[in-house]
Amino acid sequence: MDTHRTRPERGSKESGSTLRGLVHPVVIYPFKQPGDYSDLEELYQMIGRLDADKKRYARPITVLDRKTYYAMAQDKSFIAFRKSVVAKHSDILDAWCVDTCQMWCSGLGMAFEQGGPQDVYWLIPGDFNYGTRVGQEVLGRLHDLPEIILELDQDICIGEIATDHNNSKQLIDTYGTFALLYNWFPVEAQEIRRFTERPRSEFFAVRHDFLREVLARRWYPYEQTVVMLLHAVFARKQITRFFVGNISDLPEGRESFASAMQQVERTERVLKSLWRERSVAKPGWVEAYHSLEARSEQIRRAGLTILENLSAQEP
Amino acid sequence: MNSSYHKNLRPVNFVCNATQAQSVSLVGDFNQWDPLAHPMKQMPDRSWLLMVELKHGHHRYAFLVDGALTLDPRAQGITRNDKGERVSLVPVS
Repeated sequence: MDTHRTRPERGSKESGSTLRGLVHPVVIYPFKQPGDYSDLEELYQMIGRLDADKKRYARPITVLDRKTYYAMAQDKSFIAFRKSVVAKHSDILDAWCVDTCQMWCSGLGMAFEQGGPQDVYWLIPGDFNYGTRVGQEVLGRLHDLPEIILELDQDICIGEIATDHNNSKQLIDTYGTFALLYNWFPVEAQEIRRFTERPRSEFFAVRHDFLREVLARRWYPYEQTVVMLLHAVFARKQITRFFVGNISDLPEGRESFASAMQQVERTERVLKSLWRERSVAKPGWVEAYHSLEARSEQIRRAGLTILENLSAQEP
Repeated sequence: MNSSYHKNLRPVNFVCNATQAQSVSLVGDFNQWDPLAHPMKQMPDRSWLLMVELKHGHHRYAFLVDGALTLDPRAQGITRNDKGERVSLVPVS
């Protein structure tokens, strides 16, 4: 597997671009293979274009969970798509993963080992409606994320998808993610919200040095974007938010209450763990933790009550 | 400037809806954040408009509304400038 490419000479200007490191695209293949391949075909058309632009992009990586593979191993369409499209345009990293964030860790880690100090790593979630009009709009803007890091010397660039206030993802972030963040990390939460309303976004690009710092720390199996944003604020890193599209008009509306509950609960779990990790050396941390934990439970219950009520009142 | 330089420029319209303001100017990386470089013109509806030609890439900018640095609510991105102030971001392709 030849994954290394000749780097553009540092300090030289390429046509239409300024001084650049390489961009490493990392695609997270959908855990559950969709029956219709149109979204993935649209995505891999773009990945094919990136793969062809060897001066700007490293060979893309696709992370594919082995559970997905074995679930589809007898499916001829899947095997053909994997061979003729995915493997053609990217190096496939087959990995056993606990959760999506472990797929991120494996893919970004592999890309990092192939990268250099000037490089940027670009996470591209595979489970998005790229075949729709809105999806194509998002796909057309995603390349801005790594470009912003390179051009403006940023550490992390979050791609934000605008939603209306009643969208389930927005409701979960408003009454779950941010409410819990304000409890466990109030100062940092305010700084994060100055940039983005979607701190759990799966669209982001990250600079080599910052990725190295994040990879060296504990990597949580979920809500890793929130953790990265917190680390970015802790370390006063350069954060940019960039609008990549609008999904408020997509037909699929609300997620189930069970899904919302899981998302809020695991956000709380991560924030608790991270808070302890940062506070355990401080005197009196146990009392402070119990106090925050009691408030956190109230916040989680209130958030879930709102989400449950709204899920029962679907228009 | 040669013609190839001009070919890389794209016209970008900036609109600021500070209808009560006495003066508005556009500041950004492209004019070294000079408050005098790009004064905006007030339109009949009292919004402020300016067209600027920018080169390909991403540009940080903000409006100076009566001297106060103000984000563009319609911007595609938010970042910070070299002074650490929150500013807006516009992509030019």
